[in-house]
Amino acid sequence: MSLLSIVVAVLGGLTAALAIYYAAKDLSADLVLLGAAALTAIGWIVLGIALGVRDATSAGPPPERVTLYGYVLTGLMLVVGGGWLGAFERTRWGSVVIAVTCAVTLVLLMRIHQIWPGGFA
Amino acid sequence: MTAPRTDDRPADRDGRGTAAGRSRGGRGFEIVLVAVYGIFALSATARSLVQVLRDFDRAPVAYSLSLLAAATYIAVTVALVRGGRRSRVARVLVVIELIGVLAVGTLTVLDPVLFPEATVWSVYGQGYGYVPLALPVLALVYMLLGARKHPEA
Repeated sequence: MSLLSIVVAVLGGLTAALAIYYAAKDLSADLVLLGAAALTAIGWIVLGIALGVRDATSAGPPPERVTLYGYVLTGLMLVVGGGWLGAFERTRWGSVVIAVTCAVTLVLLMRIHQIWPGGFA
Repeated sequence: MTAPRTDDRPADRDGRGTAAGRSRGGRGFEIVLVAVYGIFALSATARSLVQVLRDFDRAPVAYSLSLLAAATYIAVTVALVRGGRRSRVARVLVVIELIGVLAVGTLTVLDPVLFPEATVWSVYGQGYGYVPLALPVLALVYMLLGARKHPEA
């Protein structure tokens, strides 16, 4: 589980860095940046599914489900929403939006790991 | 910087046909404000709804203020999307938001007993990297700059 969330974190971080580069170069989001955001979104979907499977199969005490899936859903919505705004805002500020939303997903992942160490306890 | 500045072009008022080539200008920095306010609207609403529905009695004051903060963020987001930076409604709402952050922040410092659970605006938004305090200030500066450069609009 932690490996998967590290992958998602790296994807989000790379997308954010790429978006910052685009913004610095006064570029609007193109298919490369949007593709990176889409990859990050897919990462969040996979992470959500993996957490769900683990939740369904593990015998331990159930996690606080509303919060856990709320966090995962928020992460996914952030990446998709940021990509959406970036796709339609054809200025550098669209790239800034993608950078901001991807950076926030990193904070979300960090929070998930604080609340549920190693996936969830 | 040789690249054309993109932040002072007129905002796309209809908000729809951004894909149509004509509105290449877009909203500029405004879209970042919309996004950040949207994030806060989403997260503050989700958080406060969970708090209020699950255990309102534990910290009624804190949770009510959380709900109020969430409502403010939703209102500012909608006002920005509809009216843009020169919307009077958005400006008034941002001032209300700033007052809210300052009031709740001061209250949490002076009377922590009232707040057994944190809110978005506790200690001036400490739990959110003080972004709740910086955001309305930034938005106000941006709005006032826009109002001065384009007094007619």
